[in-house]
Amino acid sequence: MDKEFAKPEEYGLADLLCCAASREVQDNEIVFAGTGLPMVAIMLAQKTHAPNLKLIFEAGTLDGRPPEIPTSVGDARCEMGASRSSGLHDAFSIAQRGYVDLGFLGGAEVDQYGNVNTTCIGDYLNPELRLTGSGGNPDINSFARRTVFIMVHEKRRFTEQVSYITSPGWRVRKWPGGETVHRRELYGAAYRGGPSAVISTLGVFRFDDESGRIYLDTCHAGNSPEQIRDMCQFDLDITRVSGETLPPTREELHFIHEVLDPGQIFIPKVKPV
Amino acid sequence: MSSGKRITLQQAAEIVKNGSSLTFSGFTIWRRPFALVYELIRQGRKGLHLIEVNGGPQTEFLVGAGCVDIWESCWVGHELYGKYGANLSRKVGNKEILVEDYSHAEMLFRFSAAASGAPYAVTQTSLGTDIHNPAYDTLGNAGLRDGKRIPSHKYRFTEDPFYGAGAQVLVPAAKVDVAILCVQQVGEEGTVRVNGQFYSDPEVARAADVTIVMAEEIVPEEYLRRESDLNTITSFEVDHILEVPFGAHPTGMFGRYDVDGAFLKDFYAGTRTQEGFDDFAKEWIHGLDHLAYLEKLGWPKMLNLKANTALKYSTGVKRGQ
Repeated sequence: MDKEFAKPEEYGLADLLCCAASREVQDNEIVFAGTGLPMVAIMLAQKTHAPNLKLIFEAGTLDGRPPEIPTSVGDARCEMGASRSSGLHDAFSIAQRGYVDLGFLGGAEVDQYGNVNTTCIGDYLNPELRLTGSGGNPDINSFARRTVFIMVHEKRRFTEQVSYITSPGWRVRKWPGGETVHRRELYGAAYRGGPSAVISTLGVFRFDDESGRIYLDTCHAGNSPEQIRDMCQFDLDITRVSGETLPPTREELHFIHEVLDPGQIFIPKVKPV
Repeated sequence: MSSGKRITLQQAAEIVKNGSSLTFSGFTIWRRPFALVYELIRQGRKGLHLIEVNGGPQTEFLVGAGCVDIWESCWVGHELYGKYGANLSRKVGNKEILVEDYSHAEMLFRFSAAASGAPYAVTQTSLGTDIHNPAYDTLGNAGLRDGKRIPSHKYRFTEDPFYGAGAQVLVPAAKVDVAILCVQQVGEEGTVRVNGQFYSDPEVARAADVTIVMAEEIVPEEYLRRESDLNTITSFEVDHILEVPFGAHPTGMFGRYDVDGAFLKDFYAGTRTQEGFDDFAKEWIHGLDHLAYLEKLGWPKMLNLKANTALKYSTGVKRGQ
């Protein structure tokens, strides 16, 4: 199969995000899959560089090998081929027990320490807009060794401080007092890691090991580090940029569009020029 | 042997009183007891306290219809078919509903605690988040924490007293009056067999004071007992049963029918306003019974949703673009 990188006109932004997400997965890992693009990304990794990864769906499918992409994690398409079809108690107990290496998550807002908000815009007690709520976002983010966030990049979403911490980043609040502490300190024996990357529609971001602050790692083609910094409300560290985000290969595009998501449920196909 | 557990849809809805706390089977857009949700709306139930492991279209219908005063859960939306709960969002904005946020695992552990007779569960999830912010204790702020059905605290924080593992969160057991389940099969004495992922059904059935099971089919109890290892919920944990084919529509049921995505999309797009919701309810809920509802959906639609018996999902439903 053709491992050459595709030309810019051969793929779209969703393809690029999907491949960037897929490359975060390592072989033999146990990965917690959310609905949508992450599901395609994980199954893409399974088809390419991580054939031995194990997939967990939050609704209760354990070590899943769905023959067709499920529409959601509760979908009947999750069960066939799985090691077990079970329930949430198994999925969350397994996660809390420490089996999960990687989880893919989303968010409406992220701040410079990787705290994510999916609950409300504005003051929680008088919100401008109530969103979906946490779902399993904080749970997977608390239990997994690494989490990767996939987000639409808008300046209002990359904020100094999220209006509500739904999911814990690197510097969090210790209740009931509310002091800001490093995540390692708060989680104690339950500490396993935390957010390792944010893949936005403009670039890929990572976090400093010590300070827990976000920095820009790669820019998607057509975006300069300065442009991306201008699209953040906080002062983005652009001193550690390693280059451009690698484009999809032809092999990856083949799997995405011919095998995994031919119906374009999650990843639209770019029309040939 | 008949156990006398059979009731009608109308009788099932009457078990849920104004002010009852209520929970459901299923997961987001799968196996939600819709026929009974519609009947609660027809009967004009008020003041419900929903306590859900996760929400979904059933939440949105009950909230939109004004049946709900308190929603305690972690998530509401329609997955691919509607990204958030627009009815809940509107009522939160208008301060017409109280929302108590926990995380998904916390909600699950709260039901597990209740199901095992424990007053609380201990976990390490969601530490450091605003879910644990004491200022955001909605039921406490409203003065509703009586320590009886509503726990006297939203959370307690403690340290592991046994192994020195550090910070722990205690979450209160979920005390709930009625659980309504929607499953593939129930026996005449109440034994439940769920096919596919059983989500948090065993926990919610055991946690609730009264458990109602509506099934695609009521089957001979003896049939289920031939292979008891395939069963999901014990006969005596179930108080009432009823047979309601296609009762989960527009949500899906493993092995029987898929989610009606087009219906959910229409609902999501059409019910951003109260007027929109009222119009939708007038067309699809009021003045209909379950059979009339199915008739209105029509055979072509239902056959399209029907699952392939080998694959367990429909091959006719067009997904995506």
